[in-house]
Amino acid sequence: MYLIIAGCNKIGISLANLLSSDGHDIAIIDRDESKFANLGNGSNYLTVAGMPIDEDVLKQAGIEKADGIYSVTDDDNTNIMIADIASKLYQVKHTVVRIDDPSKQSVMRSLCLQVICPVTLCVDQLYQAVNWRNL
Amino acid sequence: MRVLIVGGGNVGYYLTKTLKERKNHIMIIEQDRVRCEQIEQDLGDSSIAVTNGDGTDTECLKEAGINDADVLIAVTGHDQNNLVACQIAKDFFGVKRTVARVKNPKNIVAFRKMGVDSVISSTEEIANTIDEQLDWSEMKRLVETHSADLRLNRIVIGRESKFAGHTLQEISFKSGIIIVALLRDGSVIVPDGKTVLNENDEVILWGKKDDLKEIQSDHPER
Repeated sequence: MYLIIAGCNKIGISLANLLSSDGHDIAIIDRDESKFANLGNGSNYLTVAGMPIDEDVLKQAGIEKADGIYSVTDDDNTNIMIADIASKLYQVKHTVVRIDDPSKQSVMRSLCLQVICPVTLCVDQLYQAVNWRNL
Repeated sequence: MRVLIVGGGNVGYYLTKTLKERKNHIMIIEQDRVRCEQIEQDLGDSSIAVTNGDGTDTECLKEAGINDADVLIAVTGHDQNNLVACQIAKDFFGVKRTVARVKNPKNIVAFRKMGVDSVISSTEEIANTIDEQLDWSEMKRLVETHSADLRLNRIVIGRESKFAGHTLQEISFKSGIIIVALLRDGSVIVPDGKTVLNENDEVILWGKKDDLKEIQSDHPER
Protein backbone atom coordinates (compact mmCIF):
# COMPACT_ATOMS: atom_id res chain seq x y z
CA MET A 1 0.00 0.00 0.00
CA TYR A 2 1.02 3.64 -0.52
CA LEU A 3 0.78 5.54 2.76
CA ILE A 4 1.43 9.17 3.70
CA ILE A 5 2.49 10.35 7.13
CA ALA A 6 2.19 14.06 7.95
CA GLY A 7 4.53 15.04 10.78
CA CYS A 8 8.13 13.86 10.99
CA ASN A 9 8.20 13.75 14.78
CA LYS A 10 8.76 10.81 17.14
CA ILE A 11 5.30 9.40 16.47
CA GLY A 12 5.58 9.86 12.72
CA ILE A 13 9.02 8.30 12.48
CA SER A 14 8.21 5.25 14.64
CA LEU A 15 5.00 4.73 12.69
CA ALA A 16 6.83 5.01 9.37
CA ASN A 17 9.36 2.40 10.47
CA LEU A 18 6.62 -0.02 11.57
CA LEU A 19 4.56 0.38 8.40
CA SER A 20 7.63 0.15 6.22
CA SER A 21 8.71 -3.11 7.86
CA ASP A 22 5.27 -4.45 6.86
CA GLY A 23 6.26 -3.71 3.28
CA HIS A 24 4.32 -0.49 2.62
CA ASP A 25 5.62 2.48 0.61
CA ILE A 26 5.87 5.57 2.77
CA ALA A 27 5.88 9.29 2.04
CA ILE A 28 6.53 11.62 4.95
CA ILE A 29 5.74 15.34 5.10
CA ASP A 30 7.03 17.98 7.48
CA ARG A 31 7.07 21.73 7.47
CA ASP A 32 10.64 21.70 8.79
CA GLU A 33 13.09 20.08 6.40
CA SER A 34 15.71 19.54 9.13
CA LYS A 35 13.40 17.01 10.81
CA PHE A 36 14.13 14.48 8.06
CA ALA A 37 17.64 14.11 9.48
CA ASN A 38 16.04 12.11 12.32
CA LEU A 39 14.83 9.44 9.91
CA GLY A 40 18.15 7.56 9.94
CA ASN A 41 20.27 6.45 7.04
CA GLY A 42 18.57 3.18 6.17
CA SER A 43 15.16 4.64 5.38
CA ASN A 44 14.07 5.12 1.78
CA TYR A 45 10.92 7.16 2.33
CA LEU A 46 9.82 9.93 0.00
CA THR A 47 10.31 13.11 2.03
CA VAL A 48 8.41 16.30 1.21
CA ALA A 49 9.14 19.58 2.96
CA GLY A 50 6.19 21.97 3.19
CA MET A 51 2.95 22.87 4.93
CA PRO A 52 0.97 19.63 4.97
CA ILE A 53 -2.35 21.53 4.62
CA ASP A 54 -1.20 22.88 1.26
CA GLU A 55 -2.70 20.81 -1.54
CA ASP A 56 0.42 21.26 -3.68
CA VAL A 57 2.51 19.72 -0.91
CA LEU A 58 0.08 16.83 -0.49
CA LYS A 59 0.13 16.22 -4.24
CA GLN A 60 3.92 16.13 -4.18
CA ALA A 61 3.66 13.48 -1.49
CA GLY A 62 1.39 11.47 -3.80
CA ILE A 63 -2.04 12.02 -2.25
CA GLU A 64 -3.73 11.22 -5.56
CA LYS A 65 -2.59 7.61 -5.36
CA ALA A 66 -2.47 7.18 -1.57
CA ASP A 67 -4.35 4.34 0.10
CA GLY A 68 -4.10 5.91 3.52
CA ILE A 69 -2.89 8.97 5.39
CA TYR A 70 -1.88 9.44 9.02
CA SER A 71 -1.88 13.04 10.24
CA VAL A 72 0.26 13.18 13.36
CA THR A 73 1.68 16.74 13.47
CA ASP A 74 1.75 18.59 16.79
CA ASP A 75 -1.23 20.75 15.83
CA ASP A 76 -4.71 19.25 16.24
CA ASN A 77 -6.47 21.50 13.75
CA THR A 78 -3.78 20.95 11.14
CA ASN A 79 -4.30 17.20 11.52
CA ILE A 80 -8.05 17.53 11.14
CA MET A 81 -7.69 19.66 8.03
CA ILE A 82 -5.27 17.18 6.44
CA ALA A 83 -7.72 14.33 7.00
CA ASP A 84 -10.56 16.42 5.58
CA ILE A 85 -8.65 17.31 2.44
CA ALA A 86 -7.57 13.68 1.99
CA SER A 87 -11.00 12.11 2.46
CA LYS A 88 -13.27 14.76 0.96
CA LEU A 89 -11.18 16.11 -1.90
CA TYR A 90 -8.99 13.12 -2.81
CA GLN A 91 -11.15 10.21 -1.68
CA VAL A 92 -8.32 8.65 0.32
CA LYS A 93 -9.93 5.57 1.88
CA HIS A 94 -8.23 5.49 5.25
CA THR A 95 -7.47 8.60 7.27
CA VAL A 96 -6.25 8.45 10.85
CA VAL A 97 -5.94 11.63 12.90
CA ARG A 98 -3.87 12.35 15.98
CA ILE A 99 -5.66 14.72 18.34
CA ASP A 100 -3.95 15.66 21.59
CA ASP A 101 -6.82 17.56 23.17
CA PRO A 102 -9.06 14.94 24.83
CA SER A 103 -12.08 17.27 24.74
CA LYS A 104 -11.80 17.52 20.96
CA GLN A 105 -11.61 13.81 20.28
CA SER A 106 -15.28 13.00 20.85
CA VAL A 107 -16.43 15.90 18.68
CA MET A 108 -14.17 14.77 15.88
CA ARG A 109 -15.33 11.17 16.20
CA SER A 110 -18.88 12.41 15.81
CA LEU A 111 -17.75 14.10 12.60
CA CYS A 112 -16.71 10.67 11.30
CA LEU A 113 -12.97 10.95 11.69
CA GLN A 114 -10.86 8.08 12.96
CA VAL A 115 -9.20 9.70 15.95
CA ILE A 116 -6.29 8.63 18.14
CA CYS A 117 -5.66 10.66 21.29
CA PRO A 118 -2.16 10.01 22.70
CA VAL A 119 -3.01 11.86 25.91
CA THR A 120 -6.02 9.66 26.68
CA LEU A 121 -4.11 6.49 25.79
CA CYS A 122 -1.19 7.50 27.98
CA VAL A 123 -3.38 8.45 30.93
CA ASP A 124 -5.24 5.13 30.68
CA GLN A 125 -1.96 3.24 30.79
CA LEU A 126 -0.63 5.31 33.68
CA TYR A 127 -3.85 4.78 35.58
CA GLN A 128 -3.69 1.04 35.10
CA ALA A 129 0.06 0.76 35.77
CA VAL A 130 -0.40 0.35 39.50
CA ASN A 131 -3.47 -1.18 41.08
CA TRP A 132 -3.65 0.76 44.33
CA ARG A 133 -6.79 -0.95 45.57
CA ASN A 134 -5.07 -4.31 45.92
CA LEU A 135 -1.95 -3.01 47.63
CA MET B 1 -28.39 39.10 13.40
CA ARG B 2 -26.39 37.30 16.02
CA VAL B 3 -22.86 36.86 14.76
CA LEU B 4 -20.12 34.77 16.35
CA ILE B 5 -16.64 35.84 15.30
CA VAL B 6 -13.67 33.55 15.93
CA GLY B 7 -10.39 35.46 16.06
CA GLY B 8 -9.87 38.94 17.49
CA GLY B 9 -6.85 40.01 15.46
CA ASN B 10 -7.00 43.04 13.21
CA VAL B 11 -9.54 41.49 10.86
CA GLY B 12 -11.75 40.32 13.71
CA TYR B 13 -11.50 43.69 15.41
CA TYR B 14 -12.57 45.76 12.42
CA LEU B 15 -15.22 43.23 11.49
CA THR B 16 -16.67 43.52 14.97
CA LYS B 17 -16.62 47.28 14.73
CA THR B 18 -18.28 47.34 11.33
CA LEU B 19 -20.96 44.76 12.11
CA LYS B 20 -21.74 46.47 15.39
CA GLU B 21 -22.40 49.73 13.60
CA ARG B 22 -24.90 47.84 11.47
CA LYS B 23 -26.83 46.84 14.58
CA ASN B 24 -25.79 43.21 14.90
CA HIS B 25 -25.20 41.40 18.15
CA ILE B 26 -21.58 40.27 18.20
CA MET B 27 -19.98 37.44 20.13
CA ILE B 28 -16.24 37.21 19.68
CA ILE B 29 -13.72 34.56 20.76
CA GLU B 30 -10.04 35.40 21.03
CA GLN B 31 -7.23 33.28 22.40
CA ASP B 32 -5.08 36.08 23.77
CA ARG B 33 -6.33 37.50 27.07
CA VAL B 34 -4.67 40.89 26.65
CA ARG B 35 -6.20 41.27 23.21
CA CYS B 36 -9.62 40.42 24.67
CA GLU B 37 -9.28 43.21 27.19
CA GLN B 38 -8.29 45.61 24.42
CA ILE B 39 -11.35 44.73 22.38
CA GLU B 40 -13.59 45.07 25.41
CA GLN B 41 -12.11 48.45 26.25
CA ASP B 42 -12.34 49.82 22.72
CA LEU B 43 -15.64 48.40 21.54
CA GLY B 44 -17.31 46.90 24.59
CA ASP B 45 -20.97 47.56 25.28
CA SER B 46 -24.12 45.50 25.71
CA SER B 47 -24.13 44.43 22.04
CA ILE B 48 -20.71 42.75 22.25
CA ALA B 49 -19.66 39.70 24.26
CA VAL B 50 -15.96 38.85 24.35
CA THR B 51 -14.84 35.34 25.33
CA ASN B 52 -11.24 34.38 25.99
CA GLY B 53 -10.45 30.93 24.65
CA ASP B 54 -10.01 28.54 21.73
CA GLY B 55 -12.65 28.94 19.01
CA THR B 56 -12.24 25.33 17.93
CA ASP B 57 -13.10 24.03 21.39
CA THR B 58 -16.75 23.03 21.86
CA GLU B 59 -16.89 24.17 25.50
CA CYS B 60 -15.52 27.58 24.60
CA LEU B 61 -17.94 27.92 21.68
CA LYS B 62 -20.83 27.08 24.00
CA GLU B 63 -19.67 29.60 26.56
CA ALA B 64 -19.45 32.26 23.87
CA GLY B 65 -23.07 31.54 22.89
CA ILE B 66 -22.84 29.52 19.70
CA ASN B 67 -26.28 28.06 20.30
CA ASP B 68 -27.79 31.51 19.68
CA ALA B 69 -25.63 32.37 16.69
CA ASP B 70 -27.13 32.83 13.21
CA VAL B 71 -23.74 32.89 11.57
CA LEU B 72 -20.15 32.02 12.50
CA ILE B 73 -17.29 33.94 10.92
CA ALA B 74 -13.80 32.48 11.42
CA VAL B 75 -11.01 35.01 10.84
CA THR B 76 -7.99 33.75 12.75
CA GLY B 77 -4.64 33.89 10.98
CA HIS B 78 -4.53 30.12 10.55
CA ASP B 79 -6.54 28.46 7.79
CA GLN B 80 -6.75 25.15 9.65
CA ASN B 81 -8.29 26.80 12.71
CA ASN B 82 -10.83 28.63 10.58
CA LEU B 83 -11.86 25.42 8.83
CA VAL B 84 -12.26 23.44 12.05
CA ALA B 85 -14.24 26.25 13.71
CA CYS B 86 -16.66 26.31 10.75
CA GLN B 87 -17.01 22.53 10.68
CA ILE B 88 -17.78 22.26 14.38
CA ALA B 89 -20.24 25.15 14.09
CA LYS B 90 -22.12 23.59 11.21
CA ASP B 91 -21.94 19.86 11.89
CA PHE B 92 -21.96 19.83 15.68
CA PHE B 93 -23.99 22.90 16.64
CA GLY B 94 -26.12 23.31 13.51
CA VAL B 95 -25.20 26.95 12.85
CA LYS B 96 -26.94 27.90 9.59
CA ARG B 97 -24.22 29.87 7.91
CA THR B 98 -20.43 29.74 8.15
CA VAL B 99 -17.88 32.15 6.73
CA ALA B 100 -14.12 31.61 6.72
CA ARG B 101 -11.16 33.76 5.91
CA VAL B 102 -8.28 31.97 4.19
CA LYS B 103 -4.68 33.08 3.91
CA ASN B 104 -3.78 30.64 1.17
CA PRO B 105 -5.96 31.45 -1.87
CA LYS B 106 -5.74 27.81 -2.96
CA ASN B 107 -7.90 26.97 0.03
CA ILE B 108 -10.89 28.90 -1.34
CA VAL B 109 -12.11 26.00 -3.45
CA ALA B 110 -11.10 23.37 -0.89
CA PHE B 111 -13.01 25.09 1.93
CA ARG B 112 -16.16 25.34 -0.19
CA LYS B 113 -15.97 21.65 -0.99
CA MET B 114 -15.53 20.89 2.68
CA GLY B 115 -18.81 22.62 3.53
CA VAL B 116 -17.93 26.22 4.41
CA ASP B 117 -20.65 28.48 2.96
CA SER B 118 -18.56 31.52 2.13
CA VAL B 119 -14.81 31.75 1.79
CA ILE B 120 -12.96 35.04 1.67
CA SER B 121 -9.34 35.70 0.79
CA SER B 122 -8.18 39.29 0.97
CA THR B 123 -4.84 38.18 -0.38
CA GLU B 124 -6.43 36.74 -3.48
CA GLU B 125 -8.49 39.85 -4.09
CA ILE B 126 -5.53 42.15 -3.74
CA ALA B 127 -3.24 39.89 -5.75
CA ASN B 128 -5.85 39.85 -8.51
CA THR B 129 -6.07 43.60 -8.43
CA ILE B 130 -2.32 43.89 -8.78
CA ASP B 131 -2.27 41.30 -11.54
CA GLU B 132 -4.89 43.23 -13.42
CA GLN B 133 -2.57 46.21 -13.11
CA LEU B 134 -5.26 48.40 -11.78
CA ASP B 135 -3.93 51.85 -11.23
CA TRP B 136 -2.54 52.00 -7.69
CA SER B 137 -4.08 55.38 -6.92
CA GLU B 138 -7.45 54.09 -8.03
CA MET B 139 -7.15 51.12 -5.70
CA LYS B 140 -6.28 53.38 -2.80
CA ARG B 141 -9.18 55.66 -3.57
CA LEU B 142 -11.53 52.66 -3.66
CA VAL B 143 -10.54 51.67 -0.15
CA GLU B 144 -10.61 55.21 1.16
CA THR B 145 -14.10 55.97 -0.06
CA HIS B 146 -15.45 52.89 1.70
CA SER B 147 -13.74 53.22 5.06
CA ALA B 148 -13.21 56.48 6.86
CA ASP B 149 -10.08 55.93 8.94
CA LEU B 150 -8.59 52.94 7.13
CA ARG B 151 -5.98 53.18 4.43
CA LEU B 152 -4.12 50.96 2.04
CA ASN B 153 -0.50 51.89 1.58
CA ARG B 154 2.68 50.67 -0.01
CA ILE B 155 6.20 50.78 1.39
CA VAL B 156 9.55 49.39 0.36
CA ILE B 157 11.63 47.72 3.02
CA GLY B 158 14.99 49.46 3.26
CA ARG B 159 18.16 48.18 4.84
CA GLU B 160 17.51 50.30 7.94
CA SER B 161 13.84 49.30 8.27
CA LYS B 162 12.84 48.01 11.67
CA PHE B 163 10.71 45.44 9.87
CA ALA B 164 13.58 43.80 7.99
CA GLY B 165 14.29 40.33 9.31
CA HIS B 166 11.04 40.12 11.27
CA THR B 167 8.01 37.91 10.77
CA LEU B 168 4.62 39.40 9.93
CA GLN B 169 3.32 38.08 13.20
CA GLU B 170 5.78 40.19 15.18
CA ILE B 171 5.15 43.23 13.02
CA SER B 172 1.36 43.29 12.98
CA PHE B 173 1.13 42.67 16.70
CA LYS B 174 3.33 45.62 17.52
CA SER B 175 2.07 48.11 14.99
CA GLY B 176 -1.62 47.23 14.63
CA ILE B 177 -1.46 46.92 10.86
CA ILE B 178 -2.12 44.08 8.44
CA ILE B 179 0.31 43.16 5.70
CA VAL B 180 -1.89 42.02 2.85
CA ALA B 181 0.57 41.28 0.09
CA LEU B 182 4.23 41.17 -0.65
CA LEU B 183 5.99 41.84 -3.92
CA ARG B 184 9.35 40.12 -4.06
CA ASP B 185 11.48 39.68 -7.18
CA GLY B 186 8.59 40.64 -9.41
CA SER B 187 6.02 38.18 -8.08
CA VAL B 188 3.21 38.53 -5.57
CA ILE B 189 3.71 36.46 -2.44
CA VAL B 190 0.91 35.36 -0.17
CA PRO B 191 2.40 35.93 3.27
CA ASP B 192 1.48 34.21 6.49
CA GLY B 193 2.45 35.00 10.06
CA LYS B 194 5.78 33.25 9.71
CA THR B 195 6.86 35.07 6.54
CA VAL B 196 10.01 37.12 7.14
CA LEU B 197 10.36 40.51 5.45
CA ASN B 198 13.56 41.11 3.50
CA GLU B 199 15.29 44.20 2.23
CA ASN B 200 13.76 45.45 -1.06
CA ASP B 201 10.43 43.75 -0.45
CA GLU B 202 7.53 45.87 -1.57
CA VAL B 203 4.82 45.58 1.05
CA ILE B 204 1.15 46.48 0.89
CA LEU B 205 -0.25 47.53 4.24
CA TRP B 206 -3.75 47.96 5.54
CA GLY B 207 -4.57 49.77 8.74
CA LYS B 208 -5.50 52.94 10.53
CA LYS B 209 -4.44 56.20 8.90
CA ASP B 210 -2.37 57.35 11.87
CA ASP B 211 -0.57 54.02 12.32
CA LEU B 212 0.33 53.97 8.64
CA LYS B 213 1.60 57.54 8.68
CA GLU B 214 4.13 56.64 11.32
CA ILE B 215 5.33 53.62 9.37
CA GLN B 216 5.50 55.58 6.14
CA SER B 217 7.76 58.20 7.70
CA ASP B 218 10.17 55.38 8.64
CA HIS B 219 10.14 54.13 5.03
CA PRO B 220 10.83 57.01 2.65
CA GLU B 221 9.95 56.50 -1.01
CA ARG B 222 12.85 55.41 -3.18
